[in-house]
Amino acid sequence: MFRQLADDIAASSISNTVQNALWVVPASQSVHILGVSLLFTSAMMINLRLLGIGARGRSVSSLVETLAPWMWRALLVCFVTGTIQTIAEPVRQFITPIYWWKLLLIVTMALLTVWLFRTVRHNSALWDSVERPPVARVFAVVSSLAWITVIVFGRFIAYVWAYYK
Amino acid sequence: MNIHAVLEALQNSAVAGIVTGSTTDSDVLFPIIETVHVLALATVFGSIVMVDLRLLGISSRGSRVSRLSAEVLPWTWTAFVLAAISGSLMFVGKATTYWNNPQFELKFLGMFLAGVNMLAFHFGIYRRVSDWDCALPAPRAARLAGALSIGLWVAVIFMGRWVGFTT
Repeated sequence: MFRQLADDIAASSISNTVQNALWVVPASQSVHILGVSLLFTSAMMINLRLLGIGARGRSVSSLVETLAPWMWRALLVCFVTGTIQTIAEPVRQFITPIYWWKLLLIVTMALLTVWLFRTVRHNSALWDSVERPPVARVFAVVSSLAWITVIVFGRFIAYVWAYYK
Repeated sequence: MNIHAVLEALQNSAVAGIVTGSTTDSDVLFPIIETVHVLALATVFGSIVMVDLRLLGISSRGSRVSRLSAEVLPWTWTAFVLAAISGSLMFVGKATTYWNNPQFELKFLGMFLAGVNMLAFHFGIYRRVSDWDCALPAPRAARLAGALSIGLWVAVIFMGRWVGFTT
């Protein structure tokens, strides 16, 4: 099913335009890395704060307030550039299982992060205190591992897709 | 011994053989090193930009510059060391190719200028940070350093990604 869709996208004029302009994919990938950097660093700062390891000078709620807008902007940048890269090389992406696992992880983490930010905003006094719920540590560990895995999968698509051809 | 002899020696070294997999018959190490490089550079860039955006008064406006720097920069340097190690391993594998690659040269020019900018900031306006730790806007020299830093590191990332397409 996806293979057919990939072939259709690959044959489309927009895909051909992107493929033929040799600078588009490298430029898009560079912007993608900028977005990944902001998203990853922001997520990790919040996670380290929740674990009590980093950014201890700031409350959890003020850190979330500062970083949340940048995380959503960065996610949007990654989505737009990722879409460009998928249009340029649909077959490579769609036939590679880790591409789909990566997307699933991103959607899951985005939803979990929305939940965290809402919870922190609604109970900021509790979350800024040392008695914050134990789920904070669970979230921090899950989120850190998930985002690292997203980056690993993203980098490995380019190396493993040939095995599925 | 000229530079090309050194590069050739690096490229023919045991380390190069292991990195590229030419002597181990396994091609999994290079992508792993590259992934470490991506994780490290993402942390370097993301953390530097956080400080730069504070200098520009765009983000973290409620934080003291000195406090934010103290929180963030140890992670920046740790990640930078990781990026340098993983980058060196990638370099050894194709030393002569990278050395003659214009994008590679531009990338290092960008990092050199970013380093000069950082030193000028650190030994310049930052020495009197206690006078403007909470000030918004920050002094012109600090804002200039922040803007230059973002511009130069963005250029470094573009060049770095471009190297992958031209080597």
